[in-house]
Amino acid sequence: MKKLLAIAFSITLSLALSLGLSLTASLPAQADSITEAELNEITAQWKPSAHALADVNCSSCHQDSETKAFVEKPNYESCQSCHEGETDTFLLGKHGIRLREGQTPLTPTKARIAMKPEAHSKQMNCNACHNVHSVDTYQASVDSCLTCHNDEHSLNYKNSKHSQSFLAEGNIERPSNASVTCSTCHLQREADKSGKNTFVNHNNTYNLKPRDRMASEVCMNCHGMEYAFNSIFDNELVNSNFSRPPEIHLKSFDMVRVLQEKREGK
Amino acid sequence: MASRSGKGRGLKSFINIKTIIGGAVVFLLVWLVATMTMATEQKAIFLPGVTSEGHLGFEASCASCHEGFKKVSNETCNRCHEAELEQDIHGDKKFRDIRWAEKLEKLDALTCTACHGEHVKMYGRGVHLQPDLCMACHEGIITGEMTSHEGFTADGCWTAGCHNYHDHRSISTGFLYDNLDQPPMLPVQTVPEIVVEAQLETAPSPDLKSEFLGGGT
Repeated sequence: MKKLLAIAFSITLSLALSLGLSLTASLPAQADSITEAELNEITAQWKPSAHALADVNCSSCHQDSETKAFVEKPNYESCQSCHEGETDTFLLGKHGIRLREGQTPLTPTKARIAMKPEAHSKQMNCNACHNVHSVDTYQASVDSCLTCHNDEHSLNYKNSKHSQSFLAEGNIERPSNASVTCSTCHLQREADKSGKNTFVNHNNTYNLKPRDRMASEVCMNCHGMEYAFNSIFDNELVNSNFSRPPEIHLKSFDMVRVLQEKREGK
Repeated sequence: MASRSGKGRGLKSFINIKTIIGGAVVFLLVWLVATMTMATEQKAIFLPGVTSEGHLGFEASCASCHEGFKKVSNETCNRCHEAELEQDIHGDKKFRDIRWAEKLEKLDALTCTACHGEHVKMYGRGVHLQPDLCMACHEGIITGEMTSHEGFTADGCWTAGCHNYHDHRSISTGFLYDNLDQPPMLPVQTVPEIVVEAQLETAPSPDLKSEFLGGGT
Protein backbone atom coordinates (compact mmCIF):
# COMPACT_ATOMS: atom_id res chain seq x y z
CA MET A 1 0.00 0.00 0.00
CA LYS A 2 2.76 2.41 0.98
CA LYS A 3 4.75 1.47 -2.09
CA LEU A 4 1.68 2.06 -4.21
CA LEU A 5 1.24 5.46 -2.60
CA ALA A 6 4.86 6.33 -3.34
CA ILE A 7 4.48 5.26 -6.97
CA ALA A 8 1.25 7.21 -7.38
CA PHE A 9 2.93 10.26 -5.85
CA SER A 10 5.88 9.95 -8.25
CA ILE A 11 3.64 9.60 -11.27
CA THR A 12 1.57 12.64 -10.31
CA LEU A 13 4.64 14.72 -9.58
CA SER A 14 6.38 13.80 -12.83
CA LEU A 15 3.25 14.39 -14.92
CA ALA A 16 2.72 17.76 -13.30
CA LEU A 17 6.34 18.70 -13.88
CA SER A 18 6.43 17.71 -17.53
CA LEU A 19 3.06 19.37 -18.18
CA GLY A 20 4.37 22.50 -16.53
CA LEU A 21 7.51 22.40 -18.65
CA SER A 22 5.67 21.93 -21.91
CA LEU A 23 3.24 24.71 -21.04
CA THR A 24 6.07 27.10 -20.27
CA ALA A 25 7.68 26.21 -23.58
CA SER A 26 4.50 26.96 -25.50
CA LEU A 27 3.66 30.27 -23.85
CA PRO A 28 3.15 32.97 -26.50
CA ALA A 29 5.77 35.68 -26.71
CA GLN A 30 4.67 38.83 -25.01
CA ALA A 31 3.09 41.33 -27.36
CA ASP A 32 5.40 44.24 -27.88
CA SER A 33 4.31 47.56 -29.24
CA ILE A 34 6.52 49.79 -31.33
CA THR A 35 7.45 53.44 -30.95
CA GLU A 36 5.85 56.22 -32.95
CA ALA A 37 9.15 56.80 -34.78
CA GLU A 38 9.27 53.14 -35.82
CA LEU A 39 5.69 53.30 -36.99
CA ASN A 40 6.45 56.40 -39.06
CA GLU A 41 9.36 54.60 -40.66
CA ILE A 42 7.18 51.61 -41.54
CA THR A 43 4.48 53.90 -42.93
CA ALA A 44 7.09 55.62 -45.08
CA GLN A 45 8.25 52.25 -46.44
CA TRP A 46 4.68 51.22 -47.17
CA LYS A 47 3.51 54.44 -48.88
CA PRO A 48 5.30 54.05 -52.23
CA SER A 49 5.04 50.24 -52.14
CA ALA A 50 3.11 48.01 -54.50
CA HIS A 51 0.90 47.11 -51.53
CA ALA A 52 -0.15 50.69 -50.85
CA LEU A 53 -0.81 51.34 -54.54
CA ALA A 54 -2.92 48.19 -54.70
CA ASP A 55 -5.00 49.54 -51.79
CA VAL A 56 -3.54 47.05 -49.33
CA ASN A 57 -3.78 49.03 -46.10
CA CYS A 58 -2.59 48.29 -42.54
CA SER A 59 -5.86 46.56 -41.69
CA SER A 60 -5.63 44.28 -44.73
CA CYS A 61 -2.98 42.30 -42.91
CA HIS A 62 -3.14 43.51 -39.29
CA GLN A 63 -6.84 43.00 -38.68
CA ASP A 64 -8.84 39.78 -38.68
CA SER A 65 -11.37 40.21 -41.49
CA GLU A 66 -14.15 38.57 -39.45
CA THR A 67 -13.61 39.44 -35.82
CA LYS A 68 -11.88 42.78 -36.57
CA ALA A 69 -9.37 41.91 -33.87
CA PHE A 70 -5.91 43.47 -34.18
CA VAL A 71 -3.28 41.05 -35.46
CA GLU A 72 0.15 42.13 -34.31
CA LYS A 73 2.17 39.63 -36.30
CA PRO A 74 0.29 38.31 -39.32
CA ASN A 75 1.41 34.84 -40.43
CA TYR A 76 1.65 33.20 -43.85
CA GLU A 77 -2.12 32.80 -44.04
CA SER A 78 -2.43 36.55 -44.31
CA CYS A 79 -0.07 36.62 -47.32
CA GLN A 80 -1.81 33.57 -48.77
CA SER A 81 -5.12 35.40 -49.08
CA CYS A 82 -3.63 37.34 -52.02
CA HIS A 83 -0.43 35.48 -52.92
CA GLU A 84 -1.89 32.00 -53.15
CA GLY A 85 0.56 30.41 -55.59
CA GLU A 86 3.59 31.83 -53.84
CA THR A 87 2.44 30.70 -50.40
CA ASP A 88 1.20 27.28 -51.46
CA THR A 89 4.51 26.50 -53.14
CA PHE A 90 6.51 27.94 -50.21
CA LEU A 91 4.71 25.50 -47.92
CA LEU A 92 5.72 22.57 -50.12
CA GLY A 93 9.43 23.39 -50.15
CA LYS A 94 12.00 22.80 -47.44
CA HIS A 95 11.61 26.37 -46.18
CA GLY A 96 7.90 26.12 -45.47
CA ILE A 97 7.04 22.45 -45.05
CA ARG A 98 7.30 22.58 -41.26
CA LEU A 99 4.64 25.29 -41.14
CA ARG A 100 2.41 23.28 -43.46
CA GLU A 101 2.72 20.31 -41.13
CA GLY A 102 1.85 22.37 -38.08
CA GLN A 103 5.36 22.52 -36.64
CA THR A 104 7.50 25.40 -35.47
CA PRO A 105 9.08 27.36 -38.35
CA LEU A 106 12.31 26.07 -39.86
CA THR A 107 15.45 27.58 -38.38
CA PRO A 108 18.91 27.36 -39.99
CA THR A 109 20.08 25.19 -37.09
CA LYS A 110 18.08 22.35 -38.63
CA ALA A 111 19.85 22.65 -42.00
CA ARG A 112 22.32 20.05 -43.25
CA ILE A 113 24.25 22.55 -45.38
CA ALA A 114 26.39 25.40 -44.07
CA MET A 115 24.47 28.29 -42.53
CA LYS A 116 25.76 31.53 -41.03
CA PRO A 117 26.09 31.11 -37.24
CA GLU A 118 24.60 34.54 -36.54
CA ALA A 119 21.43 33.54 -38.43
CA HIS A 120 20.88 30.27 -36.60
CA SER A 121 17.83 31.42 -34.71
CA LYS A 122 16.05 33.04 -37.69
CA GLN A 123 12.60 31.60 -38.29
CA MET A 124 11.49 30.84 -41.83
CA ASN A 125 8.31 32.70 -42.49
CA CYS A 126 7.35 35.01 -45.36
CA ASN A 127 8.92 37.97 -43.60
CA ALA A 128 12.19 36.14 -42.99
CA CYS A 129 13.07 37.00 -46.60
CA HIS A 130 10.63 39.74 -47.52
CA ASN A 131 10.36 43.20 -46.11
CA VAL A 132 6.59 43.06 -46.03
CA HIS A 133 6.19 46.83 -45.77
CA SER A 134 8.40 47.98 -48.63
CA VAL A 135 7.58 44.79 -50.58
CA ASP A 136 10.42 45.27 -53.02
CA THR A 137 11.87 41.96 -54.14
CA TYR A 138 15.42 43.29 -54.56
CA GLN A 139 16.42 42.22 -51.05
CA ALA A 140 14.57 38.92 -51.34
CA SER A 141 16.37 38.01 -54.57
CA VAL A 142 19.89 37.66 -53.16
CA ASP A 143 20.58 39.37 -49.83
CA SER A 144 17.89 37.47 -47.93
CA CYS A 145 19.31 34.14 -49.09
CA LEU A 146 22.82 35.13 -48.08
CA THR A 147 21.63 36.13 -44.62
CA CYS A 148 21.55 32.42 -43.79
CA HIS A 149 23.17 30.38 -46.57
CA ASN A 150 26.91 29.96 -46.07
CA ASP A 151 27.89 27.16 -48.44
CA GLU A 152 30.44 27.46 -51.23
CA HIS A 153 27.91 27.81 -54.05
CA SER A 154 26.01 30.59 -52.25
CA LEU A 155 29.11 32.49 -51.19
CA ASN A 156 30.56 32.36 -54.71
CA TYR A 157 27.47 33.96 -56.23
CA LYS A 158 28.88 37.44 -55.75
CA ASN A 159 31.89 36.58 -57.96
CA SER A 160 29.79 35.05 -60.71
CA LYS A 161 28.76 36.37 -64.10
CA HIS A 162 25.16 35.91 -63.04
CA SER A 163 25.76 38.33 -60.20
CA GLN A 164 27.19 40.93 -62.56
CA SER A 165 23.89 41.05 -64.42
CA PHE A 166 22.13 41.74 -61.12
CA LEU A 167 24.61 44.38 -60.01
CA ALA A 168 24.41 46.09 -63.41
CA GLU A 169 20.72 46.67 -62.87
CA GLY A 170 21.23 48.48 -59.57
CA ASN A 171 18.88 48.57 -56.60
CA ILE A 172 15.50 48.56 -58.27
CA GLU A 173 12.18 47.58 -56.77
CA ARG A 174 11.89 44.33 -58.68
CA PRO A 175 14.81 42.71 -60.56
CA SER A 176 13.94 42.43 -64.25
CA ASN A 177 14.40 39.28 -66.30
CA ALA A 178 17.87 40.53 -67.28
CA SER A 179 19.10 39.88 -63.73
CA VAL A 180 20.12 36.38 -62.73
CA THR A 181 19.66 36.27 -58.98
CA CYS A 182 19.45 33.37 -56.52
CA SER A 183 15.71 33.30 -57.05
CA THR A 184 15.91 33.32 -60.85
CA CYS A 185 17.14 29.74 -60.58
CA HIS A 186 15.86 28.56 -57.20
CA LEU A 187 12.48 30.32 -56.96
CA GLN A 188 11.38 30.41 -60.54
CA ARG A 189 8.95 32.67 -62.25
CA GLU A 190 6.21 30.54 -63.81
CA ALA A 191 2.80 30.86 -65.37
CA ASP A 192 0.05 30.37 -62.77
CA LYS A 193 -2.84 27.89 -63.00
CA SER A 194 -4.79 30.18 -65.31
CA GLY A 195 -1.77 30.53 -67.58
CA LYS A 196 -2.38 34.29 -67.72
CA ASN A 197 -0.26 35.55 -64.86
CA THR A 198 3.30 34.97 -63.78
CA PHE A 199 3.92 33.90 -60.21
CA VAL A 200 7.07 32.99 -58.30
CA ASN A 201 7.26 29.30 -57.41
CA HIS A 202 8.50 29.44 -53.81
CA ASN A 203 9.14 25.70 -53.56
CA ASN A 204 12.92 25.94 -53.51
CA THR A 205 13.36 22.22 -54.11
CA TYR A 206 10.89 21.92 -57.00
CA ASN A 207 13.50 21.88 -59.77
CA LEU A 208 16.62 21.33 -57.68
CA LYS A 209 16.99 17.60 -58.17
CA PRO A 210 17.53 15.46 -60.16
CA ARG A 211 19.86 17.87 -61.92
CA ASP A 212 18.30 17.33 -65.34
CA ARG A 213 15.27 19.17 -63.99
CA MET A 214 17.36 22.21 -63.10
CA ALA A 215 19.14 22.08 -66.47
CA SER A 216 16.01 21.90 -68.60
CA GLU A 217 13.58 23.94 -66.50
CA VAL A 218 15.98 26.65 -65.40
CA CYS A 219 19.37 26.82 -67.18
CA MET A 220 17.83 26.23 -70.59
CA ASN A 221 15.70 29.36 -70.27
CA CYS A 222 18.90 31.15 -71.27
CA HIS A 223 21.57 28.58 -72.18
CA GLY A 224 21.89 25.96 -74.89
CA MET A 225 21.33 22.34 -73.86
CA GLU A 226 24.90 21.04 -73.97
CA TYR A 227 26.26 24.08 -72.13
CA ALA A 228 23.54 23.70 -69.49
CA PHE A 229 23.93 19.96 -68.91
CA ASN A 230 27.74 20.03 -69.02
CA SER A 231 27.65 22.77 -66.37
CA ILE A 232 25.08 21.38 -63.98
CA PHE A 233 26.71 17.94 -63.82
CA ASP A 234 30.12 19.43 -62.97
CA ASN A 235 30.27 19.58 -59.17
CA GLU A 236 33.27 21.89 -59.12
CA LEU A 237 31.53 24.31 -61.43
CA VAL A 238 28.35 24.24 -59.34
CA ASN A 239 30.37 24.96 -56.19
CA SER A 240 32.13 27.87 -57.88
CA ASN A 241 28.70 29.22 -58.90
CA PHE A 242 29.54 28.78 -62.59
CA SER A 243 32.70 30.87 -62.58
CA ARG A 244 33.85 29.57 -65.98
CA PRO A 245 32.46 27.75 -69.03
CA PRO A 246 31.98 23.98 -68.56
CA GLU A 247 34.93 21.71 -69.19
CA ILE A 248 33.30 18.30 -68.92
CA HIS A 249 31.60 16.76 -71.91
CA LEU A 250 28.73 14.37 -71.22
CA LYS A 251 28.90 11.17 -73.22
CA SER A 252 25.14 11.24 -73.82
CA PHE A 253 25.58 13.93 -76.45
CA ASP A 254 28.12 11.83 -78.36
CA MET A 255 25.67 8.95 -78.32
CA VAL A 256 22.93 11.13 -79.75
CA ARG A 257 25.34 12.45 -82.40
CA VAL A 258 26.07 8.90 -83.52
CA LEU A 259 22.33 8.38 -83.85
CA GLN A 260 21.98 11.64 -85.74
CA GLU A 261 24.69 10.63 -88.19
CA LYS A 262 22.99 7.30 -88.78
CA ARG A 263 19.57 8.84 -89.31
CA GLU A 264 20.67 11.72 -91.43
CA GLY A 265 23.37 9.73 -93.21
CA LYS A 266 26.01 12.29 -92.32
CA MET B 1 2.66 3.85 23.40
CA ALA B 2 2.21 0.84 21.23
CA SER B 3 0.34 2.75 18.61
CA ARG B 4 2.94 5.58 18.60
CA SER B 5 5.83 3.20 18.08
CA GLY B 6 3.77 1.53 15.33
CA LYS B 7 3.44 4.89 13.58
CA GLY B 8 7.20 5.43 13.96
CA ARG B 9 7.94 2.17 12.30
CA GLY B 10 5.41 2.98 9.59
CA LEU B 11 7.08 6.26 8.73
CA LYS B 12 10.50 4.67 8.78
CA SER B 13 9.43 1.86 6.52
CA PHE B 14 7.70 4.34 4.20
CA ILE B 15 10.91 6.24 3.64
CA ASN B 16 13.19 3.21 3.52
CA ILE B 17 15.82 3.13 0.80
CA LYS B 18 13.97 0.67 -1.43
CA THR B 19 10.86 2.82 -1.61
CA ILE B 20 12.91 5.92 -2.36
CA ILE B 21 14.82 4.25 -5.19
CA GLY B 22 11.65 2.66 -6.57
CA GLY B 23 9.79 5.95 -6.43
CA ALA B 24 12.66 7.79 -8.07
CA VAL B 25 12.89 5.25 -10.90
CA VAL B 26 9.15 5.43 -11.58
CA PHE B 27 9.31 9.23 -11.39
CA LEU B 28 12.13 9.42 -13.90
CA LEU B 29 10.55 6.96 -16.31
CA VAL B 30 7.14 8.62 -16.32
CA TRP B 31 8.68 12.09 -16.49
CA LEU B 32 10.84 11.06 -19.46
CA VAL B 33 8.01 9.49 -21.45
CA ALA B 34 5.51 12.23 -20.62
CA THR B 35 7.90 15.03 -21.54
CA MET B 36 8.84 13.37 -24.77
CA THR B 37 5.28 12.80 -25.85
CA MET B 38 4.01 16.19 -24.79
CA ALA B 39 6.77 18.12 -26.48
CA THR B 40 6.02 17.24 -30.11
CA GLU B 41 9.53 18.19 -31.21
CA GLN B 42 10.86 15.22 -29.28
CA LYS B 43 8.80 12.65 -31.15
CA ALA B 44 11.97 11.99 -33.12
CA ILE B 45 12.79 9.50 -30.36
CA PHE B 46 10.25 7.16 -31.98
CA LEU B 47 11.89 7.27 -35.45
CA PRO B 48 12.82 3.76 -36.53
CA GLY B 49 15.85 4.82 -38.61
CA VAL B 50 17.52 7.65 -40.49
CA THR B 51 15.09 9.89 -42.37
CA SER B 52 15.79 10.73 -46.00
CA GLU B 53 17.14 14.17 -46.87
CA GLY B 54 13.88 15.46 -48.31
CA HIS B 55 11.78 14.59 -45.26
CA LEU B 56 14.33 15.34 -42.57
CA GLY B 57 12.99 18.80 -41.82
CA PHE B 58 9.66 17.56 -40.51
CA GLU B 59 10.58 14.05 -39.44
CA ALA B 60 9.09 14.53 -35.99
CA SER B 61 5.67 15.15 -37.50
CA CYS B 62 4.70 11.47 -37.67
CA ALA B 63 1.08 12.23 -38.58
CA SER B 64 2.21 13.99 -41.78
CA CYS B 65 2.66 10.55 -43.36
CA HIS B 66 1.33 8.04 -40.86
CA GLU B 67 -2.18 7.28 -39.75
CA GLY B 68 -1.68 4.94 -36.85
CA PHE B 69 0.16 1.89 -38.09
CA LYS B 70 -1.50 1.85 -41.53
CA LYS B 71 0.66 1.51 -44.62
CA VAL B 72 1.61 4.86 -46.17
CA SER B 73 -0.60 5.38 -49.23
CA ASN B 74 0.07 7.08 -52.58
CA GLU B 75 -2.45 9.75 -51.57
CA THR B 76 -0.23 10.68 -48.66
CA CYS B 77 2.77 11.17 -50.96
CA ASN B 78 0.66 13.14 -53.40
CA ARG B 79 -0.27 15.67 -50.72
CA CYS B 80 3.11 17.22 -51.49
CA HIS B 81 4.49 15.57 -54.62
CA GLU B 82 1.53 15.83 -56.96
CA ALA B 83 2.82 18.75 -59.03
CA GLU B 84 6.23 17.17 -59.53
CA LEU B 85 4.63 13.96 -60.74
CA GLU B 86 2.20 15.52 -63.15
CA GLN B 87 4.17 14.23 -66.13
CA ASP B 88 5.06 10.86 -64.55
CA ILE B 89 5.95 8.61 -67.45
CA HIS B 90 6.01 5.50 -65.25
CA GLY B 91 2.81 6.47 -63.48
CA ASP B 92 -0.84 5.50 -63.33
CA LYS B 93 -1.51 6.40 -66.93
CA LYS B 94 0.94 3.78 -68.17
CA PHE B 95 0.49 1.00 -65.67
CA ARG B 96 -3.30 1.04 -65.44
CA ASP B 97 -3.09 -0.25 -69.02
CA ILE B 98 -3.49 -4.03 -69.11
CA ARG B 99 -0.55 -4.36 -71.51
CA TRP B 100 1.84 -3.57 -68.69
CA ALA B 101 0.21 -5.78 -66.04
CA GLU B 102 2.91 -8.40 -66.38
CA LYS B 103 5.63 -5.84 -65.71
CA LEU B 104 3.97 -4.86 -62.46
CA GLU B 105 4.69 -8.31 -61.11
CA LYS B 106 8.38 -7.54 -61.40
CA LEU B 107 8.16 -4.14 -59.77
CA ASP B 108 5.04 -2.65 -58.20
CA ALA B 109 5.34 0.62 -60.11
CA LEU B 110 1.89 1.77 -58.96
CA THR B 111 2.89 2.04 -55.31
CA CYS B 112 5.19 4.90 -54.32
CA THR B 113 6.62 3.01 -51.34
CA ALA B 114 7.68 0.06 -53.51
CA CYS B 115 10.77 2.11 -54.39
CA HIS B 116 10.56 5.02 -51.97
CA GLY B 117 10.71 3.63 -48.46
CA GLU B 118 11.58 5.83 -45.51
CA HIS B 119 13.71 5.54 -42.39
CA VAL B 120 15.90 2.98 -44.25
CA LYS B 121 19.14 3.17 -46.24
CA MET B 122 18.73 5.20 -49.45
CA TYR B 123 20.64 5.05 -52.71
CA GLY B 124 19.87 8.63 -53.75
CA ARG B 125 16.64 10.33 -54.89
CA GLY B 126 14.86 8.79 -51.89
CA VAL B 127 15.10 5.30 -53.44
CA HIS B 128 15.71 2.40 -51.11
CA LEU B 129 15.85 -0.32 -53.80
CA GLN B 130 19.25 -1.32 -55.15
CA PRO B 131 20.29 1.11 -57.93
CA ASP B 132 19.95 -1.60 -60.59
CA LEU B 133 16.16 -1.55 -60.16
CA CYS B 134 15.65 -0.65 -63.85
CA MET B 135 16.90 -4.11 -64.76
CA ALA B 136 13.62 -5.59 -63.53
CA CYS B 137 12.18 -4.59 -66.91
CA HIS B 138 14.94 -3.07 -69.03
CA GLU B 139 17.79 -5.55 -68.74
CA GLY B 140 17.85 -6.14 -72.50
CA ILE B 141 19.09 -2.62 -73.08
CA ILE B 142 22.52 -3.39 -71.69
CA THR B 143 22.66 -7.00 -72.88
CA GLY B 144 22.47 -6.58 -76.62
CA GLU B 145 19.13 -5.02 -77.55
CA MET B 146 20.65 -1.59 -77.93
CA THR B 147 24.11 -1.25 -79.46
CA SER B 148 24.66 2.22 -77.99
CA HIS B 149 24.17 0.91 -74.43
CA GLU B 150 26.05 -2.35 -74.68
CA GLY B 151 28.33 -3.02 -71.76
CA PHE B 152 26.81 -0.30 -69.59
CA THR B 153 26.58 -1.18 -65.91
CA ALA B 154 23.24 -2.26 -64.45
CA ASP B 155 23.29 0.33 -61.68
CA GLY B 156 24.22 3.40 -63.72
CA CYS B 157 20.96 4.30 -65.53
CA TRP B 158 19.93 6.95 -63.03
CA THR B 159 22.84 7.13 -60.63
CA ALA B 160 24.99 8.53 -63.46
CA GLY B 161 22.34 11.20 -64.06
CA CYS B 162 21.38 10.05 -67.56
CA HIS B 163 17.83 8.86 -66.88
CA ASN B 164 14.97 10.10 -64.76
CA TYR B 165 12.42 7.40 -63.91
CA HIS B 166 9.47 9.74 -63.49
CA ASP B 167 10.22 12.47 -65.98
CA HIS B 168 11.68 11.78 -69.41
CA ARG B 169 11.00 15.21 -70.83
CA SER B 170 14.48 16.63 -70.58
CA ILE B 171 16.48 13.50 -70.98
CA SER B 172 14.78 11.56 -73.76
CA THR B 173 16.61 10.88 -76.99
CA GLY B 174 14.13 13.12 -78.79
CA PHE B 175 14.84 16.05 -76.49
CA LEU B 176 18.60 15.65 -76.78
CA TYR B 177 18.34 15.21 -80.54
CA ASP B 178 16.28 18.36 -80.99
CA ASN B 179 18.54 20.55 -78.87
CA LEU B 180 21.99 19.47 -80.04
CA ASP B 181 24.46 22.14 -81.16
CA GLN B 182 22.75 25.09 -79.51
CA PRO B 183 25.06 28.01 -78.67
CA PRO B 184 26.07 28.54 -75.00
CA MET B 185 23.70 31.53 -74.81
CA LEU B 186 20.36 31.13 -76.56
CA PRO B 187 19.47 34.01 -78.87
CA VAL B 188 16.19 34.51 -76.98
CA GLN B 189 16.03 34.20 -73.18
CA THR B 190 12.71 33.17 -71.75
CA VAL B 191 12.62 34.20 -68.09
CA PRO B 192 9.20 35.79 -67.68
CA GLU B 193 8.90 39.39 -66.53
CA ILE B 194 6.69 40.19 -63.56
CA VAL B 195 4.51 43.20 -64.07
CA VAL B 196 2.72 44.75 -61.11
CA GLU B 197 0.12 47.28 -62.07
CA ALA B 198 -0.78 49.97 -59.56
CA GLN B 199 -4.48 50.44 -58.93
CA LEU B 200 -4.09 53.77 -57.14
CA GLU B 201 -1.98 56.78 -58.02
CA THR B 202 -1.12 57.57 -54.41
CA ALA B 203 -1.22 55.55 -51.23
CA PRO B 204 -4.40 55.72 -49.13
CA SER B 205 -4.19 57.00 -45.54
CA PRO B 206 -2.98 54.34 -43.12
CA ASP B 207 -6.08 52.93 -41.46
CA LEU B 208 -4.54 51.67 -38.19
CA LYS B 209 -2.25 53.53 -35.82
CA SER B 210 -2.88 53.35 -32.08
CA GLU B 211 -3.07 49.55 -32.31
CA PHE B 212 0.59 49.42 -33.24
CA LEU B 213 1.55 51.73 -30.40
CA GLY B 214 0.04 49.41 -27.84
CA GLY B 215 -3.30 51.17 -27.73
CA GLY B 216 -5.32 48.02 -28.43
CA THR B 217 -8.20 47.73 -30.87
